[in-house]
Amino acid sequence: MQVFNSGAFWFVEGILFCLMVIGLHLWAKDKSIPMTWWKWAIFLIWVCIAGFSIAFVGTSLGENEAGAAMRGGLFFGIVSVISGVGVWRLLLIGTKSGEPRQT
Amino acid sequence: MANPNQNPDLSRRQFMKAAGLVSGVAGGAGLGLFGYAAGTDPSTYLGWENEEGAIQSFNRKRFEVDEPPYEIVAGTSRPDARVEQLFERRARFRRAWRTVREGGEFEEPLKSYYESHPEIFELDRLNVEEIMPALRADREEYGRRFLLADAWSNAMGAVQPRPVSGPPDEWDFPRPRYDGTVPQPLNMKDPQKTADLIKKVSHQFGSTLVGITRLNPDWVYGYPISRRGFSNLDEPLQVPDHWEYAIVVGVPMSWDPLYANPPFGTSNDAYSRARIVATRVAAFINALGYPARTHTPGTSYDLMVPPIAIDAGLGQQGRHSIVITPELGCNFRPAVITTNIPMATDKPIDFGVDDFCKTCKICAEQCPSGSITMGDKIDIRGYRRWEINSASCNNMWNSTLGPMGCRICVTVCPYTRKANWLHKAALKVTANDPTRISDAALTGLQERLYEMPDPQSYYIPSLGGENASYREPPWWLKAEDFIDFDSGESDAGV
Repeated sequence: MQVFNSGAFWFVEGILFCLMVIGLHLWAKDKSIPMTWWKWAIFLIWVCIAGFSIAFVGTSLGENEAGAAMRGGLFFGIVSVISGVGVWRLLLIGTKSGEPRQT
Repeated sequence: MANPNQNPDLSRRQFMKAAGLVSGVAGGAGLGLFGYAAGTDPSTYLGWENEEGAIQSFNRKRFEVDEPPYEIVAGTSRPDARVEQLFERRARFRRAWRTVREGGEFEEPLKSYYESHPEIFELDRLNVEEIMPALRADREEYGRRFLLADAWSNAMGAVQPRPVSGPPDEWDFPRPRYDGTVPQPLNMKDPQKTADLIKKVSHQFGSTLVGITRLNPDWVYGYPISRRGFSNLDEPLQVPDHWEYAIVVGVPMSWDPLYANPPFGTSNDAYSRARIVATRVAAFINALGYPARTHTPGTSYDLMVPPIAIDAGLGQQGRHSIVITPELGCNFRPAVITTNIPMATDKPIDFGVDDFCKTCKICAEQCPSGSITMGDKIDIRGYRRWEINSASCNNMWNSTLGPMGCRICVTVCPYTRKANWLHKAALKVTANDPTRISDAALTGLQERLYEMPDPQSYYIPSLGGENASYREPPWWLKAEDFIDFDSGESDAGV
């Protein structure tokens, strides 16, 4: 498990994050969704919230706090899902129909 | 010259090439920085992380204050250890109790103290007449569960450095060398360099945290207590001139057992190491020709340690009356060395504990004996501070099996958490939040997410409890997993 606490892990994590951003960029381009700076900012904030939720569960489990993992996972998970829906709708702002164009 | 408008692919290619170059340089620089961080990370000194001072990493400079974060509200005075130091008072109580029960009277100062504090007398009597007999009976019936914890605790306390056994004017000064000469004080070049030296060697000797302050005489007991080399315990203790500075050292208790209180945890592990560190620091100072005297847990003190730790900038007093440090929370067992080697001193810090504890109250809610106040601070000897009922607290210590103690307040304190990203982030928020909104938010999360047993379940069965612990003990303290108690030959040590 030590590998997940290493610099190498965060290096790989950074690569994965970059690929994710590139993927979102290409996806939005294909769907003709204009990605403004504030959309990217909101997306990054949401990634932090979702990432925190996942990391909280893992950390609590690692601390032998299964109850906290469950309750925290539920609470932060719901926050992530609800905010995720909101972020999704915000991302679509600027498209003609408000829905992504089918290609 | 190429026209970008006529050849957009070439322009894009040029851009990508430049971006690749920048990424390569940035990535390379990032790797270099990562390598530098990895190369200087003290935690890579395996087995010696603590001795390299790696744990004392909180940026205290940002939180330094000119005056200690406790209020002086009236004329101050020194505590009378004969009645205000719990263990000294209870030792005197036990010696006198048989005589009193047969119609005699307490001698002074106990007599006057109990007359003005009848509730404390009742708690002291309760301890001797009811709680201790109940504990002995329950140890017979339930003690096996804690056999490994007892063995571990006893082993941790088995190493005893030379205890202080003489008055300050004799004991503190360097001993003669083998040739009969006595080391004389060496000329130290610079107080700041000396302070740096003392801190470095304190870490090397095993201290997790270290701080230095000028000794406030108010923290020295008005009368000496037993086992400190004083011939007359009823003669006021004069603060020696050479107790100019106080060096505070200390270590945490082992974390997994701590979370299994009451009382798979023990204080002996940290007490023993703090004693060893303090004895080494005193020996180091003696070798430089200066006097030094240790005040260590498990042996005895001539002074109160917590306010000195606050003065030395190690932390702040919490609602549970224990010093909360940024790095270890209140899982910190300190010792003090008094000396006069010239040193630069540290400033006290204020990193928001006072405000947090006003909101939190988890320790008070979880305290099985109700010894921690839910209310405000009170004035004691001229200082405004939180105060616990040490008599009922100690009665709780004697109401649990295994290594003596309770430590639930230490265990449940939100500051006493592992130093991982989650709890470090919470500490950063509480320390830097000027609105204090985060105090209620973090306390709410702590109360709602983390399980809290019924405080009364911590008591031994004879006193209405279930021998409960806050969390499961670590695997290596589960006696029933290692010892066959059914064979009838496993009673040793119980």
